[in-house]
Amino acid sequence: MTDPDILIVGGGLHGLSAALHLARAGRRVRVLEARQVGAQASGYSAGGVRTLGRHPAEVPLALEAIERWHDIANLVGDDCGFRPVGQVRVAETEAELAQLAERVERLRAAGWMHEALADAETVRQLLPAVAPHVVGGIVARRDGFASPLRTTRAFGCAAMAAGATVIEGARVATLERRAGLWCLRTHGGETHAAPLLLNAAGAWGGRIARAAGEPIPLGFNAFQMLLTDALPPLLTPVVGAAGRPLSFKQSDSGHVMIGGGHKGQADLDTGEIHLDVPRLAYSARTALDLFPALREARIAHAWAGIEGVTPDELPVIGRSAVADGLVHAFGFSGHGFALAPIVGAIVAGLLLDGPETHALTAFAPDRFTLGGPARETRSALLQPAG
Amino acid sequence: MTAKPCIVIVGGGPAGRAALAALPGAVQIARPEATAWHAEPRRLWVEGDGRVWAEPFDGLLVCADEPLLLAALGCAIRDGRVVADPEGRTSVPGVSVAGRVAGAANSREAERQATIAARALAAGPAYTNAPMIPPAKTAPAKTAPAKTAPAKTAPAKTAPAKTAPAKTAPALRLDPVDLAALLERPTGPERHRAALAQCAILGAVVPARPVGLAALAGLVATMPEAAPPQTDTGALA
Repeated sequence: MTDPDILIVGGGLHGLSAALHLARAGRRVRVLEARQVGAQASGYSAGGVRTLGRHPAEVPLALEAIERWHDIANLVGDDCGFRPVGQVRVAETEAELAQLAERVERLRAAGWMHEALADAETVRQLLPAVAPHVVGGIVARRDGFASPLRTTRAFGCAAMAAGATVIEGARVATLERRAGLWCLRTHGGETHAAPLLLNAAGAWGGRIARAAGEPIPLGFNAFQMLLTDALPPLLTPVVGAAGRPLSFKQSDSGHVMIGGGHKGQADLDTGEIHLDVPRLAYSARTALDLFPALREARIAHAWAGIEGVTPDELPVIGRSAVADGLVHAFGFSGHGFALAPIVGAIVAGLLLDGPETHALTAFAPDRFTLGGPARETRSALLQPAG
Repeated sequence: MTAKPCIVIVGGGPAGRAALAALPGAVQIARPEATAWHAEPRRLWVEGDGRVWAEPFDGLLVCADEPLLLAALGCAIRDGRVVADPEGRTSVPGVSVAGRVAGAANSREAERQATIAARALAAGPAYTNAPMIPPAKTAPAKTAPAKTAPAKTAPAKTAPAKTAPAKTAPALRLDPVDLAALLERPTGPERHRAALAQCAILGAVVPARPVGLAALAGLVATMPEAAPPQTDTGALA
């Protein structure tokens, strides 16, 4: 194998998106994936493609990403199952609706028009099966959803077609900077070296950062999802709730996916996940409260993927504050799927020594050591996983 | 005085009935009244009469053809079959099998297995050194580092039902929606084979059988307390 210009740790969606952009820029890229492409959050998320309800710092990225999603087949040669069906966040109380209205006003004051307030009648037109107690909501009509595993594989295939190498079963055991190179050794004993390194290791990103001498706080969650059996058409847009974690949508096949944030337990060392049945049950309850037509549905599948979570629930995107030739893109905290097309382009630019094309201060790797998170780092709305 | 161990039998067929006869006082979970849809260590999740509940166990004897329940408990699976010793003990202490899931070809054999397995389970979790079935002729596939083209998504494919494990190409990991479509199929050898192939890739595939959404929703009345993220201070190793 020819020596690469850039090593990427993590064969998830963000690592593969970066690999695609770097390979198309003519760089020799090698992706090291501990298990299989999309083995964790990238292949297991709810696949939400969402600008709705984003933290203000993420809004510009999400808006740019949504444009790429609408042209995703031209980017990766596959439509990734993207369905631009819109997303709706419903309010179950007047207080929640007031909170949503306030948010829309704030966004408009900042020049962002992608979210619109919807009264109860509008919500019912969009979601005829929604429960009668819903009093309104907000809508982002260009949002939608995609197939997570198909998307991750599509990015991987496109990256490889552009010349990137993806090595599966390559779990990094050691990492050091030596003579201007990042030298990585895997559990299998293989060594890889390159002048540039991208840490896109998801929930394991904190370990990579620590090994590079840059402690970045990162926890992890095993976000649980449920899928019903195939049902007749019930809803078109993706649905969230203002007051409780929910991500809810129906696939082309009729299966209804219920997720949003209730967690199982995971082990980062073994990758094992244990589902928490009572929390699964509460996800089912939330879906049933909002869509009583689900009463006869059966749960056909339940699962969880391991996702890195930062203290402020914003990702870490940027150049290392302490090490040369290292860029981080991890810790997407359960809502990174939609951002991948743009984040891959951004981190490729950072690795190629380009100027910072986007405002990344809120995502800076050193933000936790420089006086703590900035004032506006709490999410305005619940961030449903996926 | 020590409490009597709680033993649960899954299955109401010939093996299940024979097991219950050998283990009076055991709890029997049998369809259609009650369906075991998921299992965790020392706890079986059951649906029946429009509700879901957890059935605790010290010993579990699975006499129904439910390999996914056993996979969820971490029982070793080889060549698409649950590994067990001649007394039905699986690789997980306190979990035993009998009947079709243990390879019984007919009712009589299933009853014989169940009686033996029930007595062994009642005797305690001691392991035997006897050969396990099926014979350990195939090592589990190891993931070798490989330059790989990520596979394209494909619909679930299963081989035709055969008595011997089919020699097929390695299974492709299914998208969750495709896996749900597989799991909602009627249970039987094809579903088991395809689902166990996914277990080999993903770990346990849940649930072993579909469960009613409304019944599951009835398990909790209020939102669980928010769980903080798990912490990680680990290092590369």
